[in-house]
Amino acid sequence: MLIWLGVTLLYPLVSSAALSLENVRIIGSAGRFVGLANYLSVLSSAAFWLALERSVVWVAGNAVAQTVLAMASALILEQAFPGVRVARTWIVLTWIVPTIVIVIVWRWLLSTSGGMINPFLIELGVIRRPMGFFSSSVSAMTTLILINSWRWFPFVAVMLLAGLQRIPGELYEAAAIDGASRFARFRRITLPLLQPTLFVLLVIGTLLSFNVFDIVWLLTGGGPADATTTLPILIYRTAFKGYRLSEAAAMSVIATLLLMGLAILAVRTLAPREEVR
Amino acid sequence: MRGRNVVFASLIALLAASGLAQADQVQIRLWHMEQPPQRVARVQQLIDEFNKSNPGIVVKQEPQNWGEVYAKAPAAIAAGNAPEILFAIPDFTTVIRSLGALTSVKDFTDKLNAEHHFIPATLRPYEYDGGVWAVPLYNMAISLWYRHSVFDKAGLKPPQTWSEWRKDAETLTKAGMYGAGLPANKQLYTDQTVYAMMVNNGAAQLFNDDGSLRFNNPKTVEAFSFYKDMFKYSAPDATNWTWGEAEACFDANKCGTVLQFTVISTYNEQGGDPADLGVAAVPRADTEASSNTISYSNAAMILAKDPAKRQAAERFISFLLEPANYGRFLNMEPGLFLPATEDGAKAPSFWNDPLAVKYKLQIETMIANSQHGMLFGFTTDKVFPSIGAISAQNILAETLQRIVTGGETPAAAVAAGQKEMEQAAK
Repeated sequence: MLIWLGVTLLYPLVSSAALSLENVRIIGSAGRFVGLANYLSVLSSAAFWLALERSVVWVAGNAVAQTVLAMASALILEQAFPGVRVARTWIVLTWIVPTIVIVIVWRWLLSTSGGMINPFLIELGVIRRPMGFFSSSVSAMTTLILINSWRWFPFVAVMLLAGLQRIPGELYEAAAIDGASRFARFRRITLPLLQPTLFVLLVIGTLLSFNVFDIVWLLTGGGPADATTTLPILIYRTAFKGYRLSEAAAMSVIATLLLMGLAILAVRTLAPREEVR
Repeated sequence: MRGRNVVFASLIALLAASGLAQADQVQIRLWHMEQPPQRVARVQQLIDEFNKSNPGIVVKQEPQNWGEVYAKAPAAIAAGNAPEILFAIPDFTTVIRSLGALTSVKDFTDKLNAEHHFIPATLRPYEYDGGVWAVPLYNMAISLWYRHSVFDKAGLKPPQTWSEWRKDAETLTKAGMYGAGLPANKQLYTDQTVYAMMVNNGAAQLFNDDGSLRFNNPKTVEAFSFYKDMFKYSAPDATNWTWGEAEACFDANKCGTVLQFTVISTYNEQGGDPADLGVAAVPRADTEASSNTISYSNAAMILAKDPAKRQAAERFISFLLEPANYGRFLNMEPGLFLPATEDGAKAPSFWNDPLAVKYKLQIETMIANSQHGMLFGFTTDKVFPSIGAISAQNILAETLQRIVTGGETPAAAVAAGQKEMEQAAK
């Protein structure tokens, strides 16, 4: 197992690190050792820091949107109502559909040449004329976050639902008898007892969100005008469009170290220390 | 038990025999980027005919997509697993050549030229540094598309100049359409439409003779200014359009004019009336004498090093260019792919296709427009390898996005675009 992990995990990481110390441009071409030149270039590049900033916005936006959507869904699905079993099964639909299908569906829905969303919003009086959801920096990032959150919130909801179902019902009954309101029960019982689940989701969610490439690339390509160029997009473009493979490898190494550092910091500072009674 | 042994032994013998037979055959893998199912089917039909008439050669196609092949092909070459034939556009050829994967095919193209007479504009982008690096197969050139009925209703004539086009777009937009369906996404289609404006304002050349960049010049700034003016008549989501979306806008009769290689297939599928489909040359700046356009000569690179495989690859390409087959090859997408040879342009196999019959007038206009086609980075006999990276990074489109989304002035954006190109050229 260790050998397998070493081969599949360590080898690519070490190869990337070695590549980052050379000046390889096109994949397959030769390069020579240049030491830390790529790292200096990357760390002094405005494009890198802007992409990192956008990645932070992306991660934070997804965390908020997905947590709100997932928590609301999980609280509803925890109730007993007709069809709850069907709902619990089919909520994962957006999660299991391939990304390319999701991209095609959303491009069509948001299109001004026949999509449903614009006429619907005009009918509701929200907008007066069709809008391009990817035509400005703010709307493009917001739309991407909402679409990605729509795609992934079922995964979070399923985890939260499992966490909710572990909370003893007697606690809620006792609180209700003591006169606690619904909100008070949510704040004093649900949230604290969900902490371990929320913590795991925070760490995993951050790592997964940060590395999302497909939906961003397919929907906006990092545009308009780089407004949605997160770090994974920049790395891909640098490697395969800019033909600066070693520089992209340096960015990847920096991103890996950042994420490792974040994960370690999160475990040390935010991990639940003891079972909340 | 004995019976089973006999069956088993026979199976082994059969497999061995087929393996030996395959070992005698020359295997040719063809990578092309024409992924739509009808194109793949047409290519397969031609491959089957070739394989049948050439028993010692087996050609197999492996469709790729343009978005991935710039990375995938170099990786395959590095892994020693390159296809024998790889379709290309001119800037992609510079990338593959920079890996040392190409040998000049000048002798072969000279032979084909004597037989079929290449249209010079299709061969020129592959002829530099004393060699010819790919064999032209088909041409694509952008034209302006419109509907006669829409123009007649608005009292308009097809525009020939920028001021006429601006006026037409404004009139059509007031009537409830998007007067000019122009893209502004950071991708190749936007590069193409931007360049179609540049070549119509005397800004066709990206490089000086010494290889330095001359993108930042007043003519280029004027072209981007015009694009910015026209963009206000485009759809609000055009900053995110990919190739199919301008065409979809036109087919839905929401865009009054579009710049496209062709809209014939989808227009026809939507039940459009051929008599209503108008096509014209890309409008020129008011100060220019004639119209030009962007044209892409698509070609086939031969990557095989083994002499038998090279010969087999040449035989397959020759087969495709035979007039009896060539028209069918071009009509894998009727009305999109234009002939790269003079005898191909007259071939009954091209003109007999049902869509070519239906849209004959339009296709004749497209061929006429393509004669004035140019491609950025390939306008002189000097080709600089950095054009590969400049094209791959869609810097023309990025420059436009700085203007229409980023709010920069055309002059500032073009200056920034020049810096990006210089960075890419390093």
